[in-house]
Amino acid sequence: MISKSLALQVLNAALATGGDYAEIYVEQNDSDVVMLENGKVESCGGPETYGAGIRILKGLRSVYGYTSDLKEKSLLALAGKLAGAYEGERAITVTSVEKQHVKEINKLQVHYKDIPVQDKIAYLKEWYQITSSVDPRIVRVQNALISNLKQIEIYAAEGPVAKLYENTEERGRVIDVAVAASEQGQIENAFAGPGRFADFNWFKNVLDYKAKAKDVGEKAIMMLTAKECPSGRFPVVIANGWGGVIFHEACGHSLEATATAKHLSVFSDSIGQQIANPIVSAFDDGTLPNEWGSNNIDSEGHVTQKNQLIKDGICVGFLVDKFNARRLKMDANGCSRRESYRYEPTSRMSNTYIAAGKDKAEDIIKDTKLGIYVANFGGGSVEPTTGEFNFSASEAYIIRDGQICEPVKGCTLIGSGKEVLMNIDRVADNVDLGQGMCGSLSGSIPVNVGQPTIRIKEITVGGRGGKLE
Amino acid sequence: MKYDAFFELAKSKGIAESQIQISRSNSLSIKLFHHEIDNYKVADSQSIVACGVYNGKFGFAMTQKLNKDTFAFLVDQIILTASTSEKEGIAELFKGSEKYHKKNVFNKELASIPVEKKIAVLHQIEDGLFAYDKRIVEVEEVDYSEKEISSEFYNSFGLKLKQKSNYYYFVGAAEAKQGEEIKTDYEFFGDCDFSKFDPKPFIEKIGRKAIAKFGGIQCASGNYPTILHSDIVAALVEYYLHSASSDEVQRKSSFLIGKLGQQIASKKLTIEEKPLTKNIYFSYFDDEGVATYNKAIVKKGVLQTYFYNRETAKKDGVQSTGNGVWEGAKIGVGFSNVFVKPGKASFDELASSIKEGVYITDIAGLGTGMNDQSGDFSCQAQGFMIRDGKIAEPLNLITLSGNLLKMFQDLKGFDNAVELKDSSISCADAYIKAMAIGGK
Repeated sequence: MISKSLALQVLNAALATGGDYAEIYVEQNDSDVVMLENGKVESCGGPETYGAGIRILKGLRSVYGYTSDLKEKSLLALAGKLAGAYEGERAITVTSVEKQHVKEINKLQVHYKDIPVQDKIAYLKEWYQITSSVDPRIVRVQNALISNLKQIEIYAAEGPVAKLYENTEERGRVIDVAVAASEQGQIENAFAGPGRFADFNWFKNVLDYKAKAKDVGEKAIMMLTAKECPSGRFPVVIANGWGGVIFHEACGHSLEATATAKHLSVFSDSIGQQIANPIVSAFDDGTLPNEWGSNNIDSEGHVTQKNQLIKDGICVGFLVDKFNARRLKMDANGCSRRESYRYEPTSRMSNTYIAAGKDKAEDIIKDTKLGIYVANFGGGSVEPTTGEFNFSASEAYIIRDGQICEPVKGCTLIGSGKEVLMNIDRVADNVDLGQGMCGSLSGSIPVNVGQPTIRIKEITVGGRGGKLE
Repeated sequence: MKYDAFFELAKSKGIAESQIQISRSNSLSIKLFHHEIDNYKVADSQSIVACGVYNGKFGFAMTQKLNKDTFAFLVDQIILTASTSEKEGIAELFKGSEKYHKKNVFNKELASIPVEKKIAVLHQIEDGLFAYDKRIVEVEEVDYSEKEISSEFYNSFGLKLKQKSNYYYFVGAAEAKQGEEIKTDYEFFGDCDFSKFDPKPFIEKIGRKAIAKFGGIQCASGNYPTILHSDIVAALVEYYLHSASSDEVQRKSSFLIGKLGQQIASKKLTIEEKPLTKNIYFSYFDDEGVATYNKAIVKKGVLQTYFYNRETAKKDGVQSTGNGVWEGAKIGVGFSNVFVKPGKASFDELASSIKEGVYITDIAGLGTGMNDQSGDFSCQAQGFMIRDGKIAEPLNLITLSGNLLKMFQDLKGFDNAVELKDSSISCADAYIKAMAIGGK
């Protein structure tokens, strides 16, 4: 996208005032969204995003800028403006660029742009047919196929030889939303959003999309009869897969170097300390082939890694990016990510999950006398400094005498990360992953969350349904 | 006109009507951490959004790549996307409104204020926060950001509209510690007139709010008379108005279906959209080129109108209300500069009749805890008990649950502490007869 000779000029302009690291991140992102509303094509197409971000580090300081104009004049002006934020003499002169080998761990056979649009439309219409025919009370089905083809060049210099990394990211995601309405005017909805760093064939031939589409319709109808969730403190069993959002919020964000490096996390001093029940081990793994949160390299060119965060309840690692590694005096571990060139990269999660335990999911439910079973979440958020988090359940049931009973709606779980990790008292062996978008300092990025079925022996549950009985 | 070449190319390829919008922005942001500039960011970007009517169907294109091939790319994309559209009816672009109420909201002085002066204010905030109370152990964030935005709108009927605006904002966030207990709070201030920012009350507000949270406990679960801080009122009003989108109503996804002209809320609720207010959210035309105007959405509890774009207005046989906004590749419905009519009482007067209730000051997780179709919500909250009309012990890790329609029916009134929020909603604290609080 930009020539090596221009990259050299820009890097040298950036390093003119004593910066010890300069980086140019060039990106072209072609997005495509085919959206159907009640089985008819509502819109099609997506933005073409194009631009470059320049970052200069000097000790514990960072300057960043971006532009959507990749002409020489504009890039050199930006580099000069950023370098002007520092005072000092040049310490590095970059003389050459060396292209680095990037191993492709997420291979795609066919680009989404090469699939005829009519094939994508026909596929979405199948989803619509299945979801909408579940029940006549389904009044609206909205579905979409979203794909992004992101081509990236990273020029990184901290010595005379700059490194060039070239990477291609391509992900697809299907969104299926059903809205159900009762005769009394009550409205409820249900949603599925499977996504992969994989091509269209996966959605058509591997994903059991027919079952998923039916499930969305059934869940929307079921919610029409769901009672309000009770409130209070009681045991909660959380299903495998997307249930892992609890670990993502309760712990994951608080282990990102962006929070720990400045001591802005409850877990800043926790390495080597017990922060979870000994039955809990957890990983962040950006190398899982073709998974939603995976990548070949991170946004700094570092190869992605499998990083263990918790081993038998002991905190053993953080997610560390290049800049925060300096403050922490630790090595970066391939987790620096960003939404686009408009964001400075920082430590972020990729595919984060609680590892398999020895229990069986059915035994955990059987052993719970009175509590809530959360089968699915809408999402959540956390304040890393206090560790206080919240999650909203999109599908939950009462557990009574070891049996999953009636569905409930409007269920929110809240707590503090430190407390909830210690309160996990059962971990099953059925690890699964679920896809979501994670929003933080460096924008909105695709992440997998995951876990086996777990039980939290006591947590605060909010709802409008009065006492749990 | 410099975009004539685009219109000519579009026409030559069979695009009968077309429209092009060009947005440019440049920004600066500076963050301080431990008295050093921790982060300095500059940016300039531009993008073009184009649309057109091809064979009676609406097509869309957007790019940030500006070069000699841009117009050809846009035209090809419009044709491609229009060719797949299955929307009913013949698409038409807008020729133009009779009158536009353009105002100058660009503050020339902002860019000329030296960066050193802006950095000095950041130091003042950081020092002030550390000095506020010895329990303030960390200043997590002190940021200054400013942005200039210009947008141009042209269509093949000869309509030309331009708008330029700028703004700045400060964000401060502090961490307070007492024993093992950690509390945080933050504050935001935005405007386009730099002289309006006063660091002193800004610092005091953050410090006071963080310190007041110490010793927070969970109350017993139950229904309590509730006062919602204006920040929370604004967040809930935003979802409430989302349901007043004609698009959502027509797609049977709103709890306000069939409620036009009906009493949907307490008589204490009046909500107006005033896009022509001269502030940083001012806008005199929407993304279809329709002139915006000020209007009541809810008046004394009665729903006056939905928000319309041209397409949804046509379906209901009314005129667009100037609320067409781009939502991905289609024109959706949006709003800005919302004013919720305040009451006359002070906070103390509002709380005086509450024997036992709660005052909710912070919420988290509303984005995922809100079902914006049914209006049901449940989220994390903190605040204070109200006992005998006075603020009492702090509450922490509780939940706030409700239904938007029911909540505004149960509205007993607002106080007079109006604040303009960064969501462009201006409102005061609200007293709700009863809301579900989850705790012990």
